Amino acid sequence: MSGLGLVFSIARDALAAQQNGIDVTAHNVANVDTPGYCRQRAVHEAKEPAPYGGLMFGRGVDTAQVLRISDQFIENRLMRQNSNMLSYKEMENYMQVLEGVFSEDSETSVSSLMADFWNLWHDVANNPSGTSERIALYEHSISVAQQFKSLSRDFGDIETDLTQAVSSGINRINEITAEIADVNAEVVRSESGAIANDMRDKRNALVSELAGYIDVKTFEQSNGSLSIITARGCVLVQGNESYDLDLGGDNGDRVQWSGSGGSAVDITNYINTGKLGGWLDMRDEIAAKYKSDLDALARELIWTVNQQHSLGVGLEAFSSVKGSYAVSDSSKELGSEDCGLEYYDKLSNGTFNLWVYDSGGNVVNGVPTSITIDADTGGTTLTSLAAQIDAIDDISASVTSDGKLRIDADSGYTFAFSDDTSNVLAAIGINTFFTGVGAGTIGLSDVITSDKNYISAAQIHSDGSIAAGDNKNALAIADLQYKLVDIAQWTCDRRNGNTQGCIRTTIEDYYHALVGSMGITSASVSRGRSFNEGMVNKLRELRDRISAVSLDEEMTNLIKYQHAYAAAAKLITASDEMLETLLETK
Amino acid sequence: MRVATRSIYETVRFNLDVITERLSKANKVVSSGKRITTLSDDPVGLAQALNIKSSLSNIEQLERNINVGKSWLAASENALTHVQNLISDAKAMSVQMANVTEGAAERASAAQAAQNMLEEIVSLANTEINGRYIFAGSKTDGAPFTLEDDNSVIYNGNNEPFTVKIGRTSTVAVGSDGESVFGSSGELDDIFNTFKELKAALQNNDVSGIQGKINQLDDHFNHIATKISDIGSKMNRLEIKEEILQNLDITNTERLSKIEDADITDAIMKLKAMETAYQAALVSASRVLQLSVVDYL
Repeated sequence: MSGLGLVFSIARDALAAQQNGIDVTAHNVANVDTPGYCRQRAVHEAKEPAPYGGLMFGRGVDTAQVLRISDQFIENRLMRQNSNMLSYKEMENYMQVLEGVFSEDSETSVSSLMADFWNLWHDVANNPSGTSERIALYEHSISVAQQFKSLSRDFGDIETDLTQAVSSGINRINEITAEIADVNAEVVRSESGAIANDMRDKRNALVSELAGYIDVKTFEQSNGSLSIITARGCVLVQGNESYDLDLGGDNGDRVQWSGSGGSAVDITNYINTGKLGGWLDMRDEIAAKYKSDLDALARELIWTVNQQHSLGVGLEAFSSVKGSYAVSDSSKELGSEDCGLEYYDKLSNGTFNLWVYDSGGNVVNGVPTSITIDADTGGTTLTSLAAQIDAIDDISASVTSDGKLRIDADSGYTFAFSDDTSNVLAAIGINTFFTGVGAGTIGLSDVITSDKNYISAAQIHSDGSIAAGDNKNALAIADLQYKLVDIAQWTCDRRNGNTQGCIRTTIEDYYHALVGSMGITSASVSRGRSFNEGMVNKLRELRDRISAVSLDEEMTNLIKYQHAYAAAAKLITASDEMLETLLETK
Repeated sequence: MRVATRSIYETVRFNLDVITERLSKANKVVSSGKRITTLSDDPVGLAQALNIKSSLSNIEQLERNINVGKSWLAASENALTHVQNLISDAKAMSVQMANVTEGAAERASAAQAAQNMLEEIVSLANTEINGRYIFAGSKTDGAPFTLEDDNSVIYNGNNEPFTVKIGRTSTVAVGSDGESVFGSSGELDDIFNTFKELKAALQNNDVSGIQGKINQLDDHFNHIATKISDIGSKMNRLEIKEEILQNLDITNTERLSKIEDADITDAIMKLKAMETAYQAALVSASRVLQLSVVDYL
């Protein structure tokens, strides 16, 4: 066909094509701020020419396809980087909370409380029989214990918060994967001919969001559906099926994947990136480490003070005393783990003296009874220790039903201890200062709570006398401030397990190092966040350079299509006039 | 190069975020005067600062201990000086009473004076400070010396003088084992006994007995003088230690300030620079964001 009919036909197609161009432009303009949107282009092609009169005549334009402009490689890089960034960002948020908890600005920081704690022992040493010094020391020790407990509680809260965050993250992940599965089905259904651009954009946005939560690997199937695999090779989406994650495990804090088979797979330690990666790193590595370190510090503080305290004597002797540490089996050796004593490992072979005083304050028989402790296998048990003490005149000793040692003096008699080389008294909590075994349980001994005179500032004189002005033990406890002790230090690693090391340092240096290390971790997390944020920005700019909408460009295109549309319309007018001219020539 | 519309907005937003963060940080430093406001600002510096703070707190405590020690030593010195004066008086009296010109009546009244001196010395030996007996060894809660009816004096204290801590590893005995001060040591008789016997000799008008005591009183005088000079040298030691601690206090405070405190000039310059950068970013943003081809079509 040729002639004017052809012009009409070309003009009509041209109008339609420019109209398509304007439609696509309008769509782009409308989505200028849609995240994850990829700009589209109407691709125009010249139609196949038709031969006429030995010549080839073009037959106008055709809109071949609406092309979505994107670079999947950069999209994937961006997704991964963003996932890393979000992991750091979440950690940074929680690190800031931790930093606040361990803030050194206030008077209630552990470091200043600890410094005052030692100073108060000096004050007691300066006036060993002074009631006010003893009360001040006691009250301050309560503050120290409470501060440790409060830090320990804060760690517990952070842990709970993080598990809750993981839980809500998992809910969102399950929503996203279900939605992706739906979109997969949609893409497969609608892509029989053309590419479903906007469906793919939507799916890309969903996958990006998903990658913001958890490790994601994607594979596109030949039919256009997207398979998604997460940590430990677990499939989240396959075709139009999605598989849920949930929280499980003994404490309900492990991330589990349940496949179609029904058996749950624990993937917690394999999640590296995304918000979940950050939360889990924070919970199981960073917070876990500092919580364990703080516990180790409190444990050593309790022990060191108790050990020295048990060597001393208060202003008066005991009439009745009960240990604060319990054994789980009183027939097992005190030096073995089986006995269930927290500080069993501190025991060694040795002796201690038990002095008995009559109502006049004179030492019964003039000499103390020496009790021998054998820490080896087949050695002293709590029962045998009780029996040894029970054999002493005017004294009775027994193991209570809750596994503690109880010693009572007959009416009118009192008793006191000295020269314990076996550490047994401190280990079973007799004549001790603190109770508890860690930051969460530290407290003050009941004996001291009820009578501050039992704070051991003195040591029994070799003749058995107890001098009110003796400050030997108080000075020895004050000296503990600079005593080097072995304190456990943890390295927490989700992938390779937690390992316990040990450093030899003073109690306060350990705490200072702990706070310093927390600052270093926090600074490095912040740096990681800032670096990744920079990378994400660069990649997003790169991605936007390719895929995002430029209004200037769209406006220019709009003018271009507008003019082309006007020209095509002009074609119709021109050929219409030509047709009229032709019809008038009769 | 193609720039997406979104990129322009995003860039403006991101840069403003970064600058405001820095601006807020600079402002925090200036307004708090502290270089370290959170743990992560300078973790190493922070750990150092904590160590110094703990040292400072320890130094303050040691200074307090020294003050306690000084008050004990001052009280001891005071008491012993009085004792020394009494001995000196007793000697003068003995010399006079050993003179044959004195009669029995004078000696009898001198005997009363000697008795008073004895009681005075016992009371000085029972000197207390804030209710703690300073010549009782560590049995500070009870009077160390009791005067019996027969004028003999019994020591109830022990031999472990009260000590204070003046350094991480050094302690100083600021109290005294009363027995070593007033009791018999070597050839020297118990000071109370000397007075008891002097009194008896005066009462019995025993001139040779009185003469016998003059040398003993000299020995006691010298013995107490040694003790006083001991106390003086301890006092001196405490004062030197106090001075050292005060110097340490100053150096540590300076070190702490260097680590913790912001260099205000520097901090304000930084704040100014941030302010300028922020304004520049705002101006540039307002220019760029207003541009659009739409306005020209």
